[in-house]
Amino acid sequence: MKIKIDLALCQGHSVCLGEAPEVFNVVDQDDGYPHVKVLLESPPEELRAKVMKAAKYCPNSVITVMED
Amino acid sequence: MSQSAAAPLMLPPKVSGEKPGVGHMEEFGLNFARFLMRCNAECGELAEFNMGGQQTVLMSGPEAQEAFLKTLDQKLSRAAAYQATVPVFGKGVIFDAPPDKMKAQLKIQVDALRYQKMKNYSTVISQEVEDWVADWGDEGELDFLDEFLRLTLHTATHCLLGKDFRDQMTEEFRELYHDLEKGLQAIAFVDPYMQQPIFEARDKARARLQELIGAIIAERRANSEVEYGDALETFIAGTYADGSHLTDNEVTGLVIATMFAGHHTSSGTATWTLTELARQKEYSADVLQELQALFKDDSEITFESLREIPRLERFIEEVLRLHPPLILLMRRVIEDIDYKGTLIEAGKTVAISTYGSHRNTDYFPDPECFDPNRPEPDTLFAYIPFGGGPHKCAGNAFAMMQLKAIFAALLPRYEFELVDPDETYQDDFSAIVLKPSGPCRLRYKKR
Repeated sequence: MKIKIDLALCQGHSVCLGEAPEVFNVVDQDDGYPHVKVLLESPPEELRAKVMKAAKYCPNSVITVMED
Repeated sequence: MSQSAAAPLMLPPKVSGEKPGVGHMEEFGLNFARFLMRCNAECGELAEFNMGGQQTVLMSGPEAQEAFLKTLDQKLSRAAAYQATVPVFGKGVIFDAPPDKMKAQLKIQVDALRYQKMKNYSTVISQEVEDWVADWGDEGELDFLDEFLRLTLHTATHCLLGKDFRDQMTEEFRELYHDLEKGLQAIAFVDPYMQQPIFEARDKARARLQELIGAIIAERRANSEVEYGDALETFIAGTYADGSHLTDNEVTGLVIATMFAGHHTSSGTATWTLTELARQKEYSADVLQELQALFKDDSEITFESLREIPRLERFIEEVLRLHPPLILLMRRVIEDIDYKGTLIEAGKTVAISTYGSHRNTDYFPDPECFDPNRPEPDTLFAYIPFGGGPHKCAGNAFAMMQLKAIFAALLPRYEFELVDPDETYQDDFSAIVLKPSGPCRLRYKKR
Protein backbone atom coordinates (compact mmCIF):
# COMPACT_ATOMS: atom_id res chain seq x y z
CA MET A 1 0.00 0.00 0.00
CA LYS A 2 0.97 3.63 -0.52
CA ILE A 3 -0.04 6.64 1.54
CA LYS A 4 -1.25 9.88 -0.01
CA ILE A 5 -1.70 13.06 2.03
CA ASP A 6 -3.66 16.24 1.31
CA LEU A 7 -1.67 18.69 3.42
CA ALA A 8 -4.01 21.59 2.64
CA LEU A 9 -6.65 19.90 4.83
CA CYS A 10 -4.37 18.94 7.75
CA GLN A 11 -5.00 20.74 11.05
CA GLY A 12 -2.67 18.61 13.12
CA HIS A 13 -5.27 16.78 15.21
CA SER A 14 -2.73 13.94 15.61
CA VAL A 15 -5.16 11.04 15.43
CA CYS A 16 -2.83 9.35 12.91
CA LEU A 17 0.09 9.71 15.30
CA GLY A 18 -1.99 8.10 18.04
CA GLU A 19 -3.11 5.21 15.84
CA ALA A 20 0.07 4.47 13.89
CA PRO A 21 3.16 6.19 15.34
CA GLU A 22 5.38 3.93 13.19
CA VAL A 23 4.00 5.58 10.07
CA PHE A 24 2.96 9.11 11.02
CA ASN A 25 4.41 12.00 12.94
CA VAL A 26 2.95 15.48 13.43
CA VAL A 27 5.37 18.39 13.09
CA ASP A 28 5.00 22.06 14.01
CA GLN A 29 5.19 24.49 11.09
CA ASP A 30 6.55 28.06 11.05
CA ASP A 31 3.06 29.24 10.42
CA GLY A 32 -0.41 27.90 11.23
CA TYR A 33 -1.44 24.34 12.01
CA PRO A 34 1.07 21.52 12.60
CA HIS A 35 1.16 19.02 9.73
CA VAL A 36 1.35 15.30 9.42
CA LYS A 37 4.70 13.90 8.28
CA VAL A 38 4.68 10.46 6.73
CA LEU A 39 7.57 8.38 8.04
CA LEU A 40 6.90 5.35 5.87
CA GLU A 41 5.32 6.09 2.52
CA SER A 42 4.91 2.41 1.68
CA PRO A 43 4.41 0.80 5.08
CA PRO A 44 4.74 -2.97 5.49
CA GLU A 45 1.61 -5.10 5.32
CA GLU A 46 1.62 -5.84 9.07
CA LEU A 47 0.86 -2.18 9.77
CA ARG A 48 -2.18 -2.18 7.49
CA ALA A 49 -4.79 -2.33 10.28
CA LYS A 50 -3.22 0.61 12.10
CA VAL A 51 -2.84 2.68 8.94
CA MET A 52 -6.44 2.05 7.95
CA LYS A 53 -7.59 3.28 11.38
CA ALA A 54 -5.46 6.40 11.06
CA ALA A 55 -7.04 7.17 7.69
CA LYS A 56 -10.55 6.38 8.85
CA TYR A 57 -10.50 8.38 12.07
CA CYS A 58 -8.67 11.45 10.70
CA PRO A 59 -11.15 14.28 11.42
CA ASN A 60 -10.37 16.02 8.14
CA SER A 61 -9.95 13.05 5.77
CA VAL A 62 -6.37 14.01 5.02
CA ILE A 63 -5.04 10.46 4.49
CA THR A 64 -5.76 8.23 1.50
CA VAL A 65 -4.44 4.68 1.35
CA MET A 66 -3.76 3.44 -2.18
CA GLU A 67 -2.94 -0.06 -3.29
CA ASP A 68 0.33 -0.63 -5.18
CA MET B 1 -5.18 37.00 -17.59
CA SER B 2 -5.29 37.39 -21.40
CA GLN B 3 -8.70 35.73 -21.42
CA SER B 4 -10.18 38.25 -19.03
CA ALA B 5 -8.72 41.08 -21.12
CA ALA B 6 -10.38 39.69 -24.25
CA ALA B 7 -13.80 38.87 -22.80
CA PRO B 8 -15.22 41.39 -20.32
CA LEU B 9 -16.42 39.71 -17.18
CA MET B 10 -20.11 39.49 -16.35
CA LEU B 11 -21.56 40.50 -13.01
CA PRO B 12 -23.57 38.10 -10.81
CA PRO B 13 -27.34 38.14 -11.47
CA LYS B 14 -29.36 40.06 -8.88
CA VAL B 15 -32.15 38.58 -6.80
CA SER B 16 -35.60 40.18 -7.26
CA GLY B 17 -37.56 41.87 -4.50
CA GLU B 18 -34.98 44.42 -3.33
CA LYS B 19 -36.51 47.29 -1.34
CA PRO B 20 -35.11 50.80 -1.07
CA GLY B 21 -33.01 51.39 2.03
CA VAL B 22 -33.14 47.85 3.44
CA GLY B 23 -32.47 45.70 0.40
CA HIS B 24 -33.50 42.11 1.13
CA MET B 25 -33.16 42.38 4.93
CA GLU B 26 -36.86 41.89 5.66
CA GLU B 27 -37.26 38.74 3.61
CA PHE B 28 -33.90 37.50 4.94
CA GLY B 29 -35.02 38.11 8.52
CA LEU B 30 -38.31 36.25 8.05
CA ASN B 31 -36.66 32.94 7.17
CA PHE B 32 -33.12 33.22 5.89
CA ALA B 33 -32.76 29.55 4.98
CA ARG B 34 -35.78 29.72 2.65
CA PHE B 35 -34.69 33.11 1.30
CA LEU B 36 -31.30 31.68 0.32
CA MET B 37 -33.03 28.76 -1.43
CA ARG B 38 -35.13 31.25 -3.38
CA CYS B 39 -31.97 33.16 -4.40
CA ASN B 40 -30.46 29.96 -5.76
CA ALA B 41 -33.66 28.84 -7.51
CA GLU B 42 -34.08 32.22 -9.19
CA CYS B 43 -30.48 33.04 -10.16
CA GLY B 44 -28.54 29.76 -10.15
CA GLU B 45 -24.91 29.24 -9.10
CA LEU B 46 -24.30 32.91 -8.22
CA ALA B 47 -27.03 35.14 -6.79
CA GLU B 48 -26.44 38.67 -5.54
CA PHE B 49 -28.63 40.19 -2.86
CA ASN B 50 -28.47 43.22 -0.57
CA MET B 51 -28.09 42.74 3.18
CA GLY B 52 -28.90 46.19 4.50
CA GLY B 53 -26.32 47.82 2.21
CA GLN B 54 -23.81 44.96 2.08
CA GLN B 55 -23.87 43.37 -1.40
CA THR B 56 -23.72 39.62 -0.85
CA VAL B 57 -23.19 36.90 -3.44
CA LEU B 58 -24.59 33.47 -2.60
CA MET B 59 -22.49 30.70 -4.18
CA SER B 60 -24.46 27.46 -4.70
CA GLY B 61 -23.63 23.96 -5.87
CA PRO B 62 -20.58 21.82 -5.03
CA GLU B 63 -18.28 23.53 -7.54
CA ALA B 64 -18.95 27.07 -6.29
CA GLN B 65 -18.94 25.88 -2.67
CA GLU B 66 -15.58 24.20 -3.23
CA ALA B 67 -14.15 27.46 -4.61
CA PHE B 68 -15.53 29.30 -1.57
CA LEU B 69 -14.20 26.81 0.97
CA LYS B 70 -10.76 26.33 -0.57
CA THR B 71 -9.89 30.00 -1.10
CA LEU B 72 -7.59 31.26 1.63
CA ASP B 73 -8.03 34.26 3.92
CA GLN B 74 -5.80 36.56 1.88
CA LYS B 75 -8.43 36.58 -0.89
CA LEU B 76 -11.65 35.63 0.94
CA SER B 77 -11.41 36.84 4.49
CA ARG B 78 -13.20 35.18 7.37
CA ALA B 79 -12.00 37.91 9.72
CA ALA B 80 -13.63 40.74 7.75
CA ALA B 81 -16.92 38.82 7.49
CA TYR B 82 -17.09 37.87 11.17
CA GLN B 83 -16.30 41.21 12.84
CA ALA B 84 -19.47 40.80 14.92
CA THR B 85 -17.52 38.28 17.02
CA VAL B 86 -14.83 40.81 18.01
CA PRO B 87 -16.60 42.44 20.99
CA VAL B 88 -17.70 38.95 22.13
CA PHE B 89 -14.37 37.11 21.86
CA GLY B 90 -12.37 40.24 22.76
CA LYS B 91 -9.89 42.67 21.25
CA GLY B 92 -6.94 40.99 19.60
CA VAL B 93 -8.62 37.57 19.59
CA ILE B 94 -8.99 35.42 16.42
CA PHE B 95 -10.81 37.60 13.86
CA ASP B 96 -9.36 40.77 15.42
CA ALA B 97 -5.78 39.50 15.56
CA PRO B 98 -3.18 40.14 12.82
CA PRO B 99 -3.06 37.17 10.37
CA ASP B 100 0.00 35.49 11.92
CA LYS B 101 -1.40 35.76 15.45
CA MET B 102 -4.82 34.55 14.31
CA LYS B 103 -3.21 31.47 12.78
CA ALA B 104 -1.26 30.82 15.98
CA GLN B 105 -4.40 31.16 18.12
CA LEU B 106 -6.37 28.78 15.88
CA LYS B 107 -3.47 26.34 16.06
CA ILE B 108 -3.51 26.49 19.87
CA GLN B 109 -7.28 25.93 19.78
CA VAL B 110 -6.74 22.74 17.75
CA ASP B 111 -3.97 21.66 20.15
CA ALA B 112 -6.73 21.48 22.77
CA LEU B 113 -8.65 19.08 20.50
CA ARG B 114 -5.78 16.69 19.88
CA TYR B 115 -6.01 12.96 20.30
CA GLN B 116 -4.90 12.69 23.94
CA LYS B 117 -7.21 15.51 25.04
CA MET B 118 -10.14 13.96 23.20
CA LYS B 119 -9.75 10.86 25.36
CA ASN B 120 -10.11 13.00 28.49
CA TYR B 121 -13.13 14.76 27.04
CA SER B 122 -14.93 11.52 26.21
CA THR B 123 -14.62 10.47 29.86
CA VAL B 124 -15.87 13.88 31.02
CA ILE B 125 -18.87 13.78 28.68
CA SER B 126 -19.87 10.26 29.70
CA GLN B 127 -19.76 11.34 33.36
CA GLU B 128 -21.86 14.40 32.64
CA VAL B 129 -24.48 12.31 30.84
CA GLU B 130 -24.64 9.92 33.82
CA ASP B 131 -25.12 12.84 36.24
CA TRP B 132 -27.78 14.28 33.97
CA VAL B 133 -29.97 11.16 33.81
CA ALA B 134 -29.37 10.19 37.45
CA ASP B 135 -32.65 11.65 38.71
CA TRP B 136 -34.84 10.85 35.70
CA GLY B 137 -36.64 7.92 37.30
CA ASP B 138 -38.62 5.39 35.25
CA GLU B 139 -40.58 7.84 33.16
CA GLY B 140 -41.27 11.51 32.67
CA GLU B 141 -41.53 14.41 30.31
CA LEU B 142 -38.94 17.09 29.60
CA ASP B 143 -38.32 20.06 27.33
CA PHE B 144 -35.18 18.80 25.64
CA LEU B 145 -34.32 22.17 24.16
CA ASP B 146 -33.56 23.36 27.70
CA GLU B 147 -32.14 20.03 28.80
CA PHE B 148 -29.57 19.79 26.03
CA LEU B 149 -28.59 23.45 26.41
CA ARG B 150 -27.82 22.73 30.06
CA LEU B 151 -26.07 19.42 29.43
CA THR B 152 -23.83 20.86 26.72
CA LEU B 153 -23.06 23.94 28.82
CA HIS B 154 -21.88 21.51 31.50
CA THR B 155 -19.80 19.41 29.11
CA ALA B 156 -18.34 22.52 27.43
CA THR B 157 -17.32 24.24 30.66
CA HIS B 158 -16.03 20.95 32.11
CA CYS B 159 -13.86 20.16 29.05
CA LEU B 160 -12.71 23.76 28.62
CA LEU B 161 -12.28 25.11 32.13
CA GLY B 162 -11.97 22.00 34.24
CA LYS B 163 -13.89 20.14 36.90
CA ASP B 164 -13.59 22.72 39.68
CA PHE B 165 -15.00 25.47 37.53
CA ARG B 166 -17.81 23.26 36.28
CA ASP B 167 -18.74 22.13 39.79
CA GLN B 168 -18.75 25.66 41.15
CA MET B 169 -20.38 27.25 38.13
CA THR B 170 -22.43 30.14 39.40
CA GLU B 171 -25.67 31.68 38.26
CA GLU B 172 -23.62 34.79 37.53
CA PHE B 173 -21.52 32.90 34.98
CA ARG B 174 -24.65 31.61 33.21
CA GLU B 175 -26.06 35.12 33.03
CA LEU B 176 -22.84 36.63 31.72
CA TYR B 177 -22.58 33.93 29.10
CA HIS B 178 -26.19 34.54 28.12
CA ASP B 179 -25.53 38.29 27.75
CA LEU B 180 -22.64 37.49 25.44
CA GLU B 181 -24.89 35.20 23.38
CA LYS B 182 -27.46 37.92 22.97
CA GLY B 183 -24.69 40.16 21.63
CA LEU B 184 -24.28 37.90 18.62
CA GLN B 185 -27.66 38.19 16.92
CA ALA B 186 -28.14 38.88 13.21
CA ILE B 187 -28.17 42.66 13.86
CA ALA B 188 -24.58 42.43 15.14
CA PHE B 189 -23.50 41.41 11.65
CA VAL B 190 -24.78 44.74 10.33
CA ASP B 191 -22.94 46.80 12.98
CA PRO B 192 -21.76 45.36 16.30
CA TYR B 193 -21.01 48.80 17.76
CA MET B 194 -24.46 50.42 17.54
CA GLN B 195 -25.86 52.10 20.66
CA GLN B 196 -28.05 49.22 21.85
CA PRO B 197 -28.80 47.85 25.32
CA ILE B 198 -27.90 44.31 24.16
CA PHE B 199 -24.46 45.51 23.10
CA GLU B 200 -23.89 47.40 26.35
CA ALA B 201 -24.79 44.24 28.27
CA ARG B 202 -22.44 42.26 26.00
CA ASP B 203 -19.50 44.56 26.78
CA LYS B 204 -20.12 44.47 30.52
CA ALA B 205 -20.39 40.69 30.43
CA ARG B 206 -17.13 40.35 28.49
CA ALA B 207 -15.30 42.52 31.02
CA ARG B 208 -16.66 40.61 34.02
CA LEU B 209 -15.87 37.23 32.43
CA GLN B 210 -12.31 38.47 32.04
CA GLU B 211 -12.16 38.94 35.81
CA LEU B 212 -13.67 35.51 36.56
CA ILE B 213 -11.57 33.53 34.09
CA GLY B 214 -8.54 35.74 34.74
CA ALA B 215 -8.58 34.60 38.37
CA ILE B 216 -8.40 30.95 37.30
CA ILE B 217 -5.64 31.71 34.82
CA ALA B 218 -3.60 33.46 37.54
CA GLU B 219 -4.02 30.45 39.83
CA ARG B 220 -3.00 28.08 37.03
CA ARG B 221 0.06 30.15 36.11
CA ALA B 222 1.13 30.00 39.76
CA ASN B 223 0.74 26.18 39.83
CA SER B 224 2.04 25.25 36.40
CA GLU B 225 3.18 21.78 37.51
CA VAL B 226 -0.41 20.57 38.07
CA GLU B 227 -2.07 18.63 35.21
CA TYR B 228 -5.68 19.46 34.55
CA GLY B 229 -6.37 17.73 31.23
CA ASP B 230 -8.70 20.49 30.07
CA ALA B 231 -8.48 22.98 27.20
CA LEU B 232 -7.55 25.93 29.41
CA GLU B 233 -4.30 24.18 30.27
CA THR B 234 -3.44 24.02 26.56
CA PHE B 235 -4.40 27.64 25.94
CA ILE B 236 -2.22 28.84 28.83
CA ALA B 237 0.76 26.74 27.72
CA GLY B 238 0.46 27.77 24.05
CA THR B 239 3.04 30.09 22.51
CA TYR B 240 3.44 32.35 19.51
CA ALA B 241 6.32 31.93 17.04
CA ASP B 242 8.57 34.18 19.19
CA GLY B 243 7.97 32.01 22.25
CA SER B 244 5.70 34.47 24.07
CA HIS B 245 2.52 33.25 25.73
CA LEU B 246 -1.04 34.37 25.12
CA THR B 247 -2.23 37.22 27.35
CA ASP B 248 -5.01 36.62 29.88
CA ASN B 249 -7.35 38.49 27.54
CA GLU B 250 -6.41 36.21 24.62
CA VAL B 251 -6.77 33.04 26.69
CA THR B 252 -10.20 34.19 27.88
CA GLY B 253 -11.09 35.03 24.28
CA LEU B 254 -10.14 31.55 23.10
CA VAL B 255 -12.29 30.03 25.85
CA ILE B 256 -15.27 32.14 24.77
CA ALA B 257 -14.67 31.48 21.06
CA THR B 258 -14.51 27.74 21.67
CA MET B 259 -17.71 27.82 23.74
CA PHE B 260 -19.46 29.72 20.97
CA ALA B 261 -18.24 27.31 18.31
CA GLY B 262 -19.37 24.25 20.18
CA HIS B 263 -22.20 24.90 22.58
CA HIS B 264 -25.36 25.84 20.66
CA THR B 265 -24.31 23.88 17.60
CA SER B 266 -24.02 20.71 19.70
CA SER B 267 -27.12 21.35 21.75
CA GLY B 268 -29.31 22.11 18.71
CA THR B 269 -28.05 18.99 16.93
CA ALA B 270 -28.58 16.83 20.03
CA THR B 271 -32.16 18.09 20.35
CA TRP B 272 -32.87 17.40 16.69
CA THR B 273 -31.26 13.96 16.93
CA LEU B 274 -33.46 12.97 19.84
CA THR B 275 -36.55 14.35 18.11
CA GLU B 276 -35.79 12.42 14.93
CA LEU B 277 -35.05 9.26 16.95
CA ALA B 278 -38.55 9.56 18.42
CA ARG B 279 -40.04 10.25 14.99
CA GLN B 280 -38.20 7.74 12.78
CA LYS B 281 -39.20 4.55 14.60
CA GLU B 282 -37.81 2.15 12.04
CA TYR B 283 -34.35 3.69 11.83
CA SER B 284 -34.10 4.26 15.55
CA ALA B 285 -34.86 0.56 16.11
CA ASP B 286 -31.84 -0.20 13.88
CA VAL B 287 -29.68 2.17 15.91
CA LEU B 288 -30.88 0.67 19.19
CA GLN B 289 -30.08 -2.83 17.99
CA GLU B 290 -26.59 -1.73 17.05
CA LEU B 291 -25.99 -0.09 20.42
CA GLN B 292 -27.27 -3.13 22.31
CA ALA B 293 -24.89 -5.36 20.37
CA LEU B 294 -21.92 -3.02 20.89
CA PHE B 295 -22.46 -2.25 24.56
CA LYS B 296 -23.44 -5.66 25.88
CA ASP B 297 -23.86 -6.16 29.63
CA ASP B 298 -23.50 -2.46 30.36
CA SER B 299 -19.92 -2.47 29.09
CA GLU B 300 -18.42 0.93 29.60
CA ILE B 301 -18.61 3.71 27.05
CA THR B 302 -15.04 4.72 26.24
CA PHE B 303 -13.27 6.80 23.63
CA GLU B 304 -12.36 3.61 21.76
CA SER B 305 -15.86 2.14 21.88
CA LEU B 306 -17.36 5.40 20.67
CA ARG B 307 -15.18 5.64 17.61
CA GLU B 308 -17.19 3.34 15.41
CA ILE B 309 -20.98 3.16 15.69
CA PRO B 310 -21.92 3.19 12.00
CA ARG B 311 -25.73 3.26 12.18
CA LEU B 312 -25.79 5.94 14.85
CA GLU B 313 -23.24 7.92 12.83
CA ARG B 314 -25.33 7.68 9.67
CA PHE B 315 -28.39 8.73 11.66
CA ILE B 316 -26.65 11.81 13.12
CA GLU B 317 -25.23 12.66 9.71
CA GLU B 318 -28.73 12.64 8.26
CA VAL B 319 -29.87 14.91 11.12
CA LEU B 320 -27.01 17.26 10.23
CA ARG B 321 -28.04 17.18 6.57
CA LEU B 322 -31.62 18.23 7.27
CA HIS B 323 -30.83 20.51 10.22
CA PRO B 324 -27.31 21.90 9.78
CA PRO B 325 -26.68 24.07 12.87
CA LEU B 326 -24.80 26.75 10.93
CA ILE B 327 -26.73 27.60 7.79
CA LEU B 328 -24.82 30.56 6.46
CA LEU B 329 -21.03 30.71 6.08
CA MET B 330 -19.56 34.02 4.97
CA ARG B 331 -16.33 35.61 3.69
CA ARG B 332 -15.45 39.15 2.63
CA VAL B 333 -13.93 39.51 -0.84
CA ILE B 334 -10.48 41.14 -0.47
CA GLU B 335 -9.28 40.85 -4.10
CA ASP B 336 -11.57 40.77 -7.15
CA ILE B 337 -12.50 37.20 -8.06
CA ASP B 338 -13.13 35.81 -11.52
CA TYR B 339 -15.47 32.88 -10.99
CA LYS B 340 -15.93 31.13 -14.34
CA GLY B 341 -16.18 34.45 -16.19
CA THR B 342 -18.17 36.33 -13.57
CA LEU B 343 -16.57 39.12 -11.59
CA ILE B 344 -17.16 39.21 -7.85
CA GLU B 345 -15.74 42.54 -6.77
CA ALA B 346 -13.62 43.26 -3.71
CA GLY B 347 -15.73 44.62 -0.86
CA LYS B 348 -18.67 42.32 -1.50
CA THR B 349 -19.51 39.46 0.82
CA VAL B 350 -19.72 35.90 -0.50
CA ALA B 351 -21.78 33.26 1.25
CA ILE B 352 -22.73 29.61 1.05
CA SER B 353 -25.80 27.93 2.52
CA THR B 354 -25.39 24.49 4.06
CA TYR B 355 -29.16 24.19 4.39
CA GLY B 356 -29.68 24.85 0.68
CA SER B 357 -26.79 22.63 -0.37
CA HIS B 358 -28.23 19.73 1.62
CA ARG B 359 -31.52 20.08 -0.29
CA ASN B 360 -29.92 20.08 -3.74
CA THR B 361 -31.96 17.40 -5.56
CA ASP B 362 -29.01 16.52 -7.83
CA TYR B 363 -27.29 15.04 -4.78
CA PHE B 364 -30.15 14.40 -2.35
CA PRO B 365 -33.26 13.19 -4.20
CA ASP B 366 -36.50 13.74 -2.27
CA PRO B 367 -34.49 16.00 0.07
CA GLU B 368 -37.06 16.48 2.85
CA CYS B 369 -37.30 12.71 3.39
CA PHE B 370 -35.27 11.48 6.39
CA ASP B 371 -33.21 8.58 5.11
CA PRO B 372 -29.92 7.65 6.83
CA ASN B 373 -29.28 5.09 4.10
CA ARG B 374 -29.20 7.50 1.17
CA PRO B 375 -26.04 7.21 -0.95
CA GLU B 376 -23.15 9.58 -0.27
CA PRO B 377 -22.61 12.27 -2.93
CA ASP B 378 -19.57 11.74 -5.17
CA THR B 379 -18.15 15.13 -4.16
CA LEU B 380 -16.91 16.38 -0.78
CA PHE B 381 -18.61 19.75 -1.32
CA ALA B 382 -22.33 18.89 -1.41
CA TYR B 383 -22.65 17.63 2.18
CA ILE B 384 -21.00 20.36 4.25
CA PRO B 385 -22.39 20.51 7.81
CA PHE B 386 -18.89 21.33 9.09
CA GLY B 387 -17.83 23.35 6.04
CA GLY B 388 -14.78 21.86 4.31
CA GLY B 389 -11.35 22.58 2.91
CA PRO B 390 -8.51 24.03 4.99
CA HIS B 391 -10.83 25.88 7.41
CA LYS B 392 -13.20 23.00 8.08
CA CYS B 393 -14.65 23.08 11.60
CA ALA B 394 -11.81 21.84 13.80
CA GLY B 395 -14.36 20.59 16.34
CA ASN B 396 -16.03 18.13 13.98
CA ALA B 397 -14.60 15.03 15.64
CA PHE B 398 -15.36 16.42 19.10
CA ALA B 399 -18.96 17.13 18.07
CA MET B 400 -19.53 13.62 16.70
CA MET B 401 -17.87 12.03 19.73
CA GLN B 402 -20.07 14.04 22.10
CA LEU B 403 -23.28 13.21 20.22
CA LYS B 404 -22.41 9.52 20.11
CA ALA B 405 -21.56 9.53 23.84
CA ILE B 406 -24.95 11.06 24.62
CA PHE B 407 -27.06 8.70 22.53
CA ALA B 408 -25.06 5.56 23.23
CA ALA B 409 -25.89 6.17 26.91
CA LEU B 410 -29.46 7.33 26.43
CA LEU B 411 -31.05 5.11 23.82
CA PRO B 412 -30.50 1.66 25.34
CA ARG B 413 -32.02 2.89 28.60
CA TYR B 414 -35.02 4.91 27.56
CA GLU B 415 -37.54 5.06 24.77
CA PHE B 416 -38.73 8.46 23.64
CA GLU B 417 -41.99 9.78 22.23
CA LEU B 418 -43.09 13.16 20.93
CA VAL B 419 -45.56 14.88 23.24
CA ASP B 420 -46.96 17.39 20.76
CA PRO B 421 -48.25 16.82 17.21
CA ASP B 422 -45.43 15.79 14.87
CA GLU B 423 -45.72 18.85 12.59
CA THR B 424 -45.12 21.28 15.49
CA TYR B 425 -41.46 20.20 15.71
CA GLN B 426 -39.96 22.59 13.16
CA ASP B 427 -36.66 24.35 12.48
CA ASP B 428 -36.43 27.67 14.31
CA PHE B 429 -34.72 30.19 12.04
CA SER B 430 -34.85 33.12 14.46
CA ALA B 431 -31.40 32.51 15.94
CA ILE B 432 -28.01 32.31 14.23
CA VAL B 433 -27.66 28.65 15.18
CA LEU B 434 -30.42 26.32 14.03
CA LYS B 435 -32.45 24.38 16.60
CA PRO B 436 -35.97 22.95 16.86
CA SER B 437 -38.69 25.43 17.76
CA GLY B 438 -39.36 25.39 21.50
CA PRO B 439 -40.61 23.89 23.65
CA CYS B 440 -39.34 20.56 22.37
CA ARG B 441 -41.20 18.18 24.65
CA LEU B 442 -40.58 14.48 24.69
CA ARG B 443 -41.79 11.71 26.97
CA TYR B 444 -39.29 9.11 28.12
CA LYS B 445 -39.87 5.68 29.56
CA LYS B 446 -37.40 3.14 30.87
CA ARG B 447 -36.93 0.14 28.57
